[in-house]
Amino acid sequence: MQLTRIALSNFRNYAQLDLEPSPGLNVIVGANAQGKSNLLEAIAMLGTGKSFRTGRESDLIREGIDLAVIGGDARVRAGVVHLGCTLTKSVRGMRKHYTINGQGVRYAKFLGSIKVVTFVPADLQLVVGPPSLRRGFLNMALAQEERGYYRAFVRYQKALQQKSALLRGSIAPDEELLAIYDHALVESGTQVMLMRNHLVAAIGRHAQETHARWTAGRETFAVRYAPNVPFEAPTADSIGSAFAARLREVAPMERARKTTLAGPHRDDVGLWLDGGSLAAYGSQGQQRTAVLALKVAEYNVMKDRSGEAPLLLLDDVLSELDEARAAAFLTAVGGYEQAFVTATHLPAGLPAGAHVYSVVQASVRPEVAC
Amino acid sequence: MPASGSIAGPVQALINEFSKLPTVGPKTAARLVFYLLNRPRHEAQSLSEAILAVKDKVRFCSVCFSLTEEDPCALCTDERRDRATLCVVAEAKDIYAIERTAAFKGRYHVLGGLISPMDGIGPAQLHVKELIERIGEEAPAEIIVATNPNAEGEATALYLSRLIQPLGVSVTRLAYGLPIGGDLDYADEITVAKAIEGRRTL
Repeated sequence: MQLTRIALSNFRNYAQLDLEPSPGLNVIVGANAQGKSNLLEAIAMLGTGKSFRTGRESDLIREGIDLAVIGGDARVRAGVVHLGCTLTKSVRGMRKHYTINGQGVRYAKFLGSIKVVTFVPADLQLVVGPPSLRRGFLNMALAQEERGYYRAFVRYQKALQQKSALLRGSIAPDEELLAIYDHALVESGTQVMLMRNHLVAAIGRHAQETHARWTAGRETFAVRYAPNVPFEAPTADSIGSAFAARLREVAPMERARKTTLAGPHRDDVGLWLDGGSLAAYGSQGQQRTAVLALKVAEYNVMKDRSGEAPLLLLDDVLSELDEARAAAFLTAVGGYEQAFVTATHLPAGLPAGAHVYSVVQASVRPEVAC
Repeated sequence: MPASGSIAGPVQALINEFSKLPTVGPKTAARLVFYLLNRPRHEAQSLSEAILAVKDKVRFCSVCFSLTEEDPCALCTDERRDRATLCVVAEAKDIYAIERTAAFKGRYHVLGGLISPMDGIGPAQLHVKELIERIGEEAPAEIIVATNPNAEGEATALYLSRLIQPLGVSVTRLAYGLPIGGDLDYADEITVAKAIEGRRTL
């Protein structure tokens, strides 16, 4: 798929922008705080509906204004699609409104209209960072490509919040009510685990292959789903009954400690190198190579599953890598139709035919192609 | 919106009051205020009186907890209404939605909200105990739970059914499905799936 146009109004530091990106590699060069990452963030929001940066959502709107618009035209297999995301600030907080071809749609429907794989410096922590980073990695990929994932995930989160509140004692203890929330957790959590299991298996296969190629087969990289609730077989029945049994098992402890103790909200992904934990025993170089292999795998799995190459967004990440790794990464995702890369300086060893844009104070100009 | 200094005090005060209402933002609030400024005084008077009357004269019915001027309310005292079915709703406004259809001839019970521990609302904060007492006194044959098809509505419906079923009363809930006049391919997946689940013989 390909983004043929992106238009911004009052988004971050952009008052107005109307840009027609090129197919292939788009390199966005500029000094810090000029708007490179903001542009990438806007493109990512057309795919995920959410910012890939943390922080306050109200910062997405240019200061002193209460309405921001991101619009984009994308060419996908099914034809040309026009996507819109409107952000409004009001006394009651931020509201987001999504449109596809001018029709208002719900977030769940908007998600994944175009698919994006983002790679930001924070992703380099994927190996050594906390489990929440690895769950976030799975969530972002699954939300875009599995229609039912986002719904199941939201249902799970909601039931979990209610159960936690009940355990904390926000209302009188009620076993009947706890059973109802546990039932909802098992129902939605089983879906979440099933889809995560499936995705990790696919990503693991790709990552292992890529990694073996890079290390000329000297090291073996393994990616394994580490569900908080172990199950025997990856079927809804097996996962569902394992989860229900586990909830019964931890029930007395959950009540004593007033908190939820079991379920996919405590999942992790195990990353192993030659049978040892990569986070504990891997060198920094080995950890970095593993992250790159995971990102390449994410990209390729999304491409395989949807039959279309997702947009590849690399925010300031090539400069974090040495030249050999950067080149290996770009070669490994060589099948991209369109990629956006930000950098403070023109990266060395750019493939021929790259389109370079310069950003100065929220104004984007094409440079002579190199 | 102009800065508060550039606008007459009472005007800004009313804009602020209107902005507190649901679905009304500052712009709509300003429009309402300027509209009212252009209307004769008696219209503003009857509006303000109507607002106060709602607060002064309307109370909760002691039987069904819907809103009423007389206690018990007209629906509870109407002898033509079927005593065998009782429809449980979250809010009094839901009664109006069902009454508009004229498809239901039974009586109502208003819970006063939905179960949501994260908002501090449990069965004890709702009129659940009163519902159980009513079932004991009035012995209806069927309880229809008409809560919204969202997470809180579902949990509340499930909770009530577990509570009531042991009393030997049948508990039903509203069907989920496709809107009349709607288009199958415009409906979201969950709705279509629920509609298939709840299909019926022709």
